[in-house]
This record gives sequence, structure tokens and C-alpha cells, in this order.
Amino acid sequence: MQNTDILALWKTYDNKLETSLQFNKKTAEAVTQLRVTSFLSSMRPLKLFTIVVGLIWVIFVDTLIINLYSVASPFFIISAGIQVLLTKIAIGIYIYQLVLMHQADISENIVITQYHLAKIKSTTLLIARILFLQLPIWATFSLPLHIFNKENWLLLLVIFIIVLAFSILSIWLFVNINLANKDKKWFRLIFNGREWQPLIRSMELLEEIEAYQM
Amino acid sequence: MSTAEKQGLFLQILEKHKGILYKVAHAYCADNEQRKDLIQEIVIQLWKSFNNYKEQFRYSTWIYRIALNVAISDYRKEHRRKEIAHPISNNILELAENDMPDEKAHQVKQLQEFINTLKDLDKALILLYLEEKPYKEIAAIMGISETNVGTKIGRIKIILQEKFSIL
Repeated sequence: MQNTDILALWKTYDNKLETSLQFNKKTAEAVTQLRVTSFLSSMRPLKLFTIVVGLIWVIFVDTLIINLYSVASPFFIISAGIQVLLTKIAIGIYIYQLVLMHQADISENIVITQYHLAKIKSTTLLIARILFLQLPIWATFSLPLHIFNKENWLLLLVIFIIVLAFSILSIWLFVNINLANKDKKWFRLIFNGREWQPLIRSMELLEEIEAYQM
Repeated sequence: MSTAEKQGLFLQILEKHKGILYKVAHAYCADNEQRKDLIQEIVIQLWKSFNNYKEQFRYSTWIYRIALNVAISDYRKEHRRKEIAHPISNNILELAENDMPDEKAHQVKQLQEFINTLKDLDKALILLYLEEKPYKEIAAIMGISETNVGTKIGRIKIILQEKFSIL
């Protein structure tokens, strides 16, 4: 079968649809009367809520750092400082997602619209990567200064090993959680749930879009 | 234009281009029930965008853009279906009994199955190619240059040729 035959076959199918496809006007009319929020509009309140909660958290932790700066353990101040900095970056990404949502238009061309939609989802992965970066600080923020003496060497060694292991793991995850590794076993294990499936699909689509623009 | 007039015009355009909805839904949804939902979703999104329709494009271009964007996006996912909970159970489009010759019907089915195996953007492109849309219109729908359309269609022609040469 030549390409011209395939096109002719499709034309036959098209003509067949023209005559046999019945349009149910009443149902279509009823559908236009449904009060349905768009997919993106339905996502917006949750993003806004997360930003507001994040901002409240940032203000709370920043206030703690400022007020306890002179009395708290430096481990607490540094750990809280890192945590709040990472939270601020995550809030920035959520705001970026809102901008992308504003730009996404379902009647735009396929590449632009799908790029915006896929980018909204895939930036969620960046937030996950940033959250992993917080791992070591959960082992350091409660360390008091007075344990740092020779008698506690064994405890300090254990803490050091835990913090080092968490740091290596979090940096490794931050670097390696990306599009190139989406098919690796460990990646599929972390992002295994149903809720992550649209994200994986978005990453694949972003890959496809990039290939299309070349 | 009053809402009733606008709705009338919209339904008229939809009826004229009903084939696009059917073909896009068929390319992206193998399941009958999901296909019905996808068509409803496309109609909803078309209606929501109708106010912003740009006259610089043909209606078919506008419909293709939205239908393909809806089909490629996650709109058709099960969780989304439950969220929307469409109270309408009737089909917008119904295909009357197929009186196509058996051999032709079989070939169309094979072609549809082949389209179903393609990646999302390739599906869109092959549909537009089979519709014999001019490169300019394909470029406007897809958002790539006309040269790029030519290159990609050239590749699709080779795949099609390989796949259906034995028929």
C-alpha cells in the first residue's frame, strides 16, 4: 500500500464519518451549560494555599532566628536558616507555577500549550529535590553546644556519620533526580505512587517537545 | 451577539466539524467510555474558549488546537473524570452502523491501531497529515516551523510506508 493509497483510505473513512456520524445537539447543548472549572483553575487555589502556608512558616522561622540569634545553639540557627532558605526557594517555584498557569492557553498551538502544562507539573519535581536537600538539617538543628567534648566522642561520631550520610544522600538525590534518570529503578521506586504518574508523563512529554523543536 | 445566538453558532460549528472530535478522540482513547468523556471534555473546553476565538484562524484550526491539547493533557485521566462528575450520560457523537466494505474497514482499523501506538505529538501530526492539511495550517496547529513540519511528515511517510507496505 502506497502513501497515496493510505491517504485515499483515510478520505474514504472521513467521508463515511461525514454521513454516519450523528451529532447529538441536545447533549452538546447540555454540556455547554455545565458549570465546570478548567483544569488549571482547579489547581490554582491549592497552589495559593501552599504559598500562604509557606509564607506563614517562613515568617515564623525567620522571627525565631532573629529573636533567638544570641541565645540559641549555632546549630539551630544555621539549620533553621538553611531550612527557611530552601522553603523560600520552594515558594518561588510555586509562584513560577502560577505564572505558567496564567500563561497556559488551551487554544494556543500544541507545542506551547503542552510545554506550559508539562512544565507546571515537572517543576513539582524541583520542589521534591529541594525538600530532599533538607534531610541533613533535621539531624543537626537540635544539637546543643555542650555535647562537643572528648567524653562524648562516640555520640559525636554517630551524629557525624548520620549527618554525613544524610548530606551525601540529599546532594546525590538533588543532582540525580532529573529527566535522564526517570527510567532508573530507584527513581521509579521513589516516584512510584499514582500521584506521580502525571509528573513522569509530563517529563516524557517535555522530552518529546524538545525533540519536536529540533 | 446574545448568549443564545452564540450558543447556536457554536453548535453549528461543532456539527460541521464533528469528524475532528471523533477522530482526535479515537486517536488518543482506545476505551469507549473514556472516549465519550474525552469528547465531552473537548466540547466543554471549546465552549469555554469560544469567546476568545481569533478570526485569523479557521474554525478547523481552532478546533484541532483545543481538541488535541485536551486529548494530550491529563484531562481524560480517571481522577479528573470523578472530579468533574459530568451528569450527562448521553453521547455527543454516535456512529451509525458501519457499512464500509470489510476489507476497507479492516485497513482503517489497522491504521487506527498504528496511530494509537505513536507518541502524543506524533499522533497529532499524523492525524493532520492524513487529513491532508496544508503545511502552513499544520505548522499553526502544532507550533513548529513549516520546514520542521515537512521534515517530520517525511519521516512519518516512511514509517507508514514500512508499516503498510504488506497490505
